[in-house]
Amino acid sequence: MLPLGSTRGAPAIEVRGLVRLFGERRAVDGLDLELERGQSLGLLGPNGAGKTTTIRVLCTLCAPSAGSVRVLGLDPQREAAELRARIGVVPQELALYDPLHADENLEFHGRMHGLSGAHLERRVDWALELAGLRERRRDPVSTYSGGMKRRLNLVTALLHEPELVFMDEPTVGVDPQSRNHVFEMVERLHADGLTLVYTTHQLGEVERLCDRIAILDTGRAVAQGTLEELRRGQAHSAVQRYARVELDEGTRTRLEAAGITFRVEEELPDLEAVFLALTGRALRDEE
Amino acid sequence: MILSGAWEVCRKDWRLFLRDRTALLLSLALPIFLATIFAAAMGGFGGGGAARVHLLVEDLDQSARSQSLVRGLEANASLRVERALDTRRRIADGKAPAALVIPAGWGASVGSAQQQQLALYRDPGATIEQQILAGALLPALLGSGDEELTRGIVLHGMGELGFSFEQFPGMRSIFDSTWEAISKWADEHAAQDALPGAPQEDFDFASFVPRLVGMRVEDVAGGEDATQKSAMQSHAISGIAVMMLLFGLVAAGGTILEEHEQGTLQRLRLAPGGGSAILPGKFLFTATLGCAQLAILFVFGGLVFSVPVFRDPLPLVVLSLAVVAAATGLGLALAMLAQTRKQLEGFSTLVILVMSALGGSWFPLIATPAWYQKLGHFTLNAWAMDGYQAILWYGKGLGGIWLEVLVLLAIAAGTSAVAARAWKRRFLSTD
Repeated sequence: MLPLGSTRGAPAIEVRGLVRLFGERRAVDGLDLELERGQSLGLLGPNGAGKTTTIRVLCTLCAPSAGSVRVLGLDPQREAAELRARIGVVPQELALYDPLHADENLEFHGRMHGLSGAHLERRVDWALELAGLRERRRDPVSTYSGGMKRRLNLVTALLHEPELVFMDEPTVGVDPQSRNHVFEMVERLHADGLTLVYTTHQLGEVERLCDRIAILDTGRAVAQGTLEELRRGQAHSAVQRYARVELDEGTRTRLEAAGITFRVEEELPDLEAVFLALTGRALRDEE
Repeated sequence: MILSGAWEVCRKDWRLFLRDRTALLLSLALPIFLATIFAAAMGGFGGGGAARVHLLVEDLDQSARSQSLVRGLEANASLRVERALDTRRRIADGKAPAALVIPAGWGASVGSAQQQQLALYRDPGATIEQQILAGALLPALLGSGDEELTRGIVLHGMGELGFSFEQFPGMRSIFDSTWEAISKWADEHAAQDALPGAPQEDFDFASFVPRLVGMRVEDVAGGEDATQKSAMQSHAISGIAVMMLLFGLVAAGGTILEEHEQGTLQRLRLAPGGGSAILPGKFLFTATLGCAQLAILFVFGGLVFSVPVFRDPLPLVVLSLAVVAAATGLGLALAMLAQTRKQLEGFSTLVILVMSALGGSWFPLIATPAWYQKLGHFTLNAWAMDGYQAILWYGKGLGGIWLEVLVLLAIAAGTSAVAARAWKRRFLSTD
């Protein structure tokens, strides 16, 4: 168990030796994870790697079988109510009430988080503005496009001004314009100091949005760090390109005199290459 | 090409159908189940145990003749005779459809000019039972082996029909006068029926036969507006109300599963205190919906069919709240036990239809065998129907429905506890 201290100064996430069993199956198997406040963490991994279980443990929905977990300095099991008031979760499903208007959806979830009166009204206005849905606020959600629903799904988790937000594949099934809008929303929130945990299979999204990346496989973190650190860590798997140039001495001297130089450059692997190098190429169908 | 395509579509649909347990249940098992229940209610299993009319007999005479009559009634296969006292009150309270009272001195008076009249107290709401009883009374009386009694009955019957022995020996004139008497009797009834405001009735076999054999008939149940029509309407309105309430409230309880499937339930759980608020919130929604459903149906029944719902609203409101609580608990319990909304729809349809058939929502339980009535009271429908009939037909107040209210509240508590336990285990547990 981690020592208890002031929750305000504690890291956003501190996980040590997390194990979560489902019967005999070890969904998470000795995971260590750390995230400072204000950072954004991209959680990557093939299907069945333990991402969803890890998120469920972090956001109070699932108890760990072993290990210690602190989120915003709080124990997610013993201090669940307090923690829930300080985190936001953007689920992969469109967790909205289709027959209700955007307004009504937001007001309901705001009230469930204890907001009321003018404060609730201001937060709803802010959320609709952020999602670009102000003009359609009185339309039933069932009439929205997939991208509009995704944006509303996201801002619903932000109404109560959480300190830490978990986003589970928030851009699934949306067009490039809406995806870009979501990116801009997330970048703006992060720039304002929001701590983020972002899971996705779209590696480009993580490259764009996350300060740190953790790659999970078979319930463990097989790599953690910044994008640069991960790429350097897998430099041995880089595709190295060499130009074989045979020049006689005279030609070389003339070219150098003209300002043309020769060098061999190592090309670091991209995130996808790192990911495949760490998790393998075998298909991972979820159990 | 078209034929082979159609054949492939048909094969595929059969494959889908056979893998859909809900469809299998509703299409194949449910009809068999309901047919079994109806057959058992109407005729018993294997040709035995058919429904018999419960007849109370109060023998104040205790003469050899009266005891012979009671034995004759007991021997009748259509009747279930119970010797009892205070039978008038018991009929008025709906404990049985009819009671025969043999007055003191009846046996000695048979054949005399001052023959005592047998009294038949009836619940006019039990329409089917009165027909069966009428059919059973005549052979029971004639078959009691007493020549004096039989002669007296025939004499009385002929007198009822206008026949007089003084006109004998002309057989034709006997026939004619009898025919005329019957016609006159029918015409009189037709003329009465034609009067403005007169109740419109068909020939009432159930009343005709007892009067023919010299009984005094008195309808003692049903309050001021006691007609068979109002009894049937009271039963129909309350029966449909209870059944549709169950359907409505199971569907409302099923919104938990819908929210689970859509992901909104998880979002609600993540609100501070959300986990504790969801089930009570669903209970409140389901119960208020049930109250609205019942209120609309009873007001409609009162305005359109003159069901006496406004006569004494307090017991009706108290009973309805208990019925709603029980139905809400059951709806939520079924929802919590089903894995998916689709499974809930199939399972609850089966449960509700069977409960409605067993519990008297479709036909009065009083028309069914005793074992069926006992079985029916394992359903909340039977207790709800007993309560509603007590209020709407027998005119009882709060004091007359306390048992039904208590049982319904017990059902509400039990089913709600099951729902809460399943809810915690399934949706709130972090294990």
